[in-house]
Amino acid sequence: METIVVGLLNGAIYGLLLFMVSAGLTLIFGMMGVLNFAHASFYMLGAYFAYALQGTLGFGGAIVASTLLVGVVGVGVERFFLRRVHHHGHAHELLLTFGLSFIIAELIKLFFGNFPVNYRVPKSLEFAAFTIGNANYPFYRVLMGGVAIAMFVAIYLLLTRTRVGIVVRSAIYKPRMAEALGHNVPLVFMGVFGVGAALAGLAGAVAGAFYTTNPNMAIELGVMVFVVVVVGGLGSLGGAMLASLLIGIITSLAVGVDATLADLLAHVGGRQWAESIGGLFTLKVSSLAATLPFALMLLILLLRPSGLLGEKP
Amino acid sequence: MSAAILTLRDLRKSFGSTEIIRGVNLELQPDERHAFIGPNGAGKSTVFHLISGNLSPTAGEIVFDGRRIDGKSPQSINRLGVSRSFQITNIFPKLSVFENLRLAVMRPRGLQYCFWHRIDRDAVVREQTERLLEQVRLQARADTIAGELAYSEQRSLEIAMTLASDPKVVLLDEPMAGMSNEETAYTADLIREVTRGRALMLVEHDMEVVFSISDRISVLVYGEVIATGTPEQIRNNASVKEAYLGEEIA
Amino acid sequence: MVALLAVPLVLSPGLVNAAIQMLIAALFASAFNLLCGQAGMLSFGHAAYFGVGAFATVHAMNALGGAGLLPTPILPLAGAVGGLGIGLIAGWFATKRTGTYFAMITLAIAELLHALAPHLKGLFGGEAGVSAMRMPALGLTFGSTTQVYYLTLLWVLASVVLLYLYTLTPMGRLTLGLRENGHRLRFLGYDTHKVSVLVFAISGMFSGVAGGLQVINNEAANYVLFDPGLSAAVVLNTYIGGVKAFLGPALGASLMTFFGYAISDVTQSWLLYQGVLFVLVMMFMPAGLAGLLGAARALRDRHGTGALLPVLVLAAAAALLLTAGTAFVVEMLQRIFSQDYRALAGANAAAPWPPVKLLGRSWPPATLTTWLAPASAVAFGAALAWLARRRLHALERRRERDASGAESTTTAEVAGGAV
Repeated sequence: METIVVGLLNGAIYGLLLFMVSAGLTLIFGMMGVLNFAHASFYMLGAYFAYALQGTLGFGGAIVASTLLVGVVGVGVERFFLRRVHHHGHAHELLLTFGLSFIIAELIKLFFGNFPVNYRVPKSLEFAAFTIGNANYPFYRVLMGGVAIAMFVAIYLLLTRTRVGIVVRSAIYKPRMAEALGHNVPLVFMGVFGVGAALAGLAGAVAGAFYTTNPNMAIELGVMVFVVVVVGGLGSLGGAMLASLLIGIITSLAVGVDATLADLLAHVGGRQWAESIGGLFTLKVSSLAATLPFALMLLILLLRPSGLLGEKP
Repeated sequence: MSAAILTLRDLRKSFGSTEIIRGVNLELQPDERHAFIGPNGAGKSTVFHLISGNLSPTAGEIVFDGRRIDGKSPQSINRLGVSRSFQITNIFPKLSVFENLRLAVMRPRGLQYCFWHRIDRDAVVREQTERLLEQVRLQARADTIAGELAYSEQRSLEIAMTLASDPKVVLLDEPMAGMSNEETAYTADLIREVTRGRALMLVEHDMEVVFSISDRISVLVYGEVIATGTPEQIRNNASVKEAYLGEEIA
Repeated sequence: MVALLAVPLVLSPGLVNAAIQMLIAALFASAFNLLCGQAGMLSFGHAAYFGVGAFATVHAMNALGGAGLLPTPILPLAGAVGGLGIGLIAGWFATKRTGTYFAMITLAIAELLHALAPHLKGLFGGEAGVSAMRMPALGLTFGSTTQVYYLTLLWVLASVVLLYLYTLTPMGRLTLGLRENGHRLRFLGYDTHKVSVLVFAISGMFSGVAGGLQVINNEAANYVLFDPGLSAAVVLNTYIGGVKAFLGPALGASLMTFFGYAISDVTQSWLLYQGVLFVLVMMFMPAGLAGLLGAARALRDRHGTGALLPVLVLAAAAALLLTAGTAFVVEMLQRIFSQDYRALAGANAAAPWPPVKLLGRSWPPATLTTWLAPASAVAFGAALAWLARRRLHALERRRERDASGAESTTTAEVAGGAV
């Protein structure tokens, strides 16, 4: 029972982390039609910047500084790279961000080495928040979840309750009209891109200390984020939240399940047959945990191509 | 009264809670030329989208040649014999005019999955393509890249592509938009000629063309047909005048 | 063509091996471009089809107790079948969406295989992979690199020719239509989903052939073949070469493979250079290297070789200097940030910045002169580039003047004649 609760909590928090990164991605896509391949690279940059600044600014300071730095990088990417190829079309922008993500990964390998770095949660934060049964639930995990929720609330309020939010939403929906009304739409684009990047950087700075920080972070998380937006529906914040939580929880719970398809078939007397075939049938669900999100994505494509909460294409 | 080739029965379409097409009824005869007129936003293009399969109706029926086609995919509807052109030019911009038309000609000849012989050795396809080019007066521009054509030439290409499949029902959505008087006159003759023996539904704003080409006209206002009849009848219809034409035509 | 045939006769076995890799990469890129450049469907996970083709071939080689399901010369057929099969399945899912969604789905399918493969030890051999041995056939042992080279050459040439002939068929033209306006195709009666799946499968098939050839050469297949790095490489190669020209991707792939082979002993940052080149191409030369060659040829036709030569020399020199300067900085940084250097620097507190060995000389990082070298190279290169542009503009202006001069002469003649 405890394992299930712990698994649910872990999954929810990982899902919230996924959401932090995919929220920015889905907002930017909704606004500019561009899928920023380098978005997960911002996540990675956040972790590495925080690691580098930890010595001089302390843990908390490093996280704040890193978030701002990544935001600046995001603004730079939009202003100096994306804007230049905007007229070539979306595929071109996608490819450019793909190239940028490649370069960022290589630069990180250049400066920090092609191996994980020792970015750790500081001792002062390594305590238990509460206990579930016999297990201590780490405070830092709760902190990560808390940051994600706070971020979600802040964005929601910003977009729906403030003037800036209204301008951003109108620029997302009808950029030319917003420009005609006198709003500086290119500035809005740059701003949203920067904020989205900063959020990904914040997620990286916070999560990198807990999970590993290595040059492959971007690819590993990036693919997951893409699965989230396909499952949730591109452009839908609610869909991204739902899909992130779903994927986080499924993955987390699956890791604790040691059953196989053969076990399932045992109920109908097919165990021996399944085991003789081997392969997929004798694979434990826990080993397959990493592949479940992809299976979910393919399922969604079959049954509901526009995503859980997305609009029909 | 011969059987209608295309029937719209209480056709309705809503987007969210807004009903755009509010119960359209129409019967199109096999060799009739039927125009759709009405103010902007009345839903004329939407009706075309519904017939051609670009959109599915929220309610109602569309019957073509005895079969229900509402909700079918655009390719099935086209194969059954309904072909349409688009209000916003919808061609293959980086291919030549000849290639554009050839793509339209290939499908009715069943060549869509053929990868074992060269297309330029197919004399029948070449002849058909050239014939269509001549009909719309584009033979001199055969090798021009379609995206570089003048706007009215692109509209002509649109029409040619629509006719390539030898359809029984042709839907033309503002084919004359952007054309000069001379081009309009030529295209009107062209339309009359190529739709002989076919059913035509035409959306146009040029009233002279509409009144000279059509056998019958339907007036669409806010998603409803407020009048259907011959050009004379429509010209003299009070509610039409009030809703759309104004006093000048009288 | 003659050059290709003569390769094993003039080059060392190591270089012949590199040539085999170049051929395989060229085929893979050409197969990829069928989907990407011609059908307009950007796939970020094409390694999946290469990999499945590879594993199909390696299992075919091991079948029947090691004798092989097929004689060695036609083994790549197994790769073709494998690539075709997985292409049909994956394509059916992926082509249900277009554009950006499609790209993401292809990425996820490749990642799915990458994550699944290590667990299916029977099929993919786990960490160690699956190995096989080339069996003799037709009186040849296929033991030497030379024989493998000719086999690879044969298959690559045949495949590329087939791919080219495909572009001349009805379906080949339809593929271009998919890229230009798939929406319109539906209203012309085409089932675009079916066509897309077929195109995807054909691309997968030829990718599988490339994978098979790789396995025949290496006599081994490993799930590392599904790595996203391989999918990224083919995307980079194809666009650097140029997607518009038929042989553009092949050109890009061969060049990049060659450089990777030649330079990766000298530098650890080869991938960084490749990424930078890709971004530069996407931003300033979207038509790729093939496009650049085409533009040069067009310029030569306009201005004549004599006039153009100085411009080309200036441009080439500029490119060389800019590359050299940038490479210097990158290499210096790479060494300074490496673990070895930092250990060395940390060990001696008196000399926190020991000199770095590069190009046979020692460069102390703390001194200005070290950085002056690349800075001046870049500055000089930029100046040369600016000069090249000015020269080109001068050529253009001269042409315009000559053209309008000729016109006014003609008008004068006509006017004179008419009077």
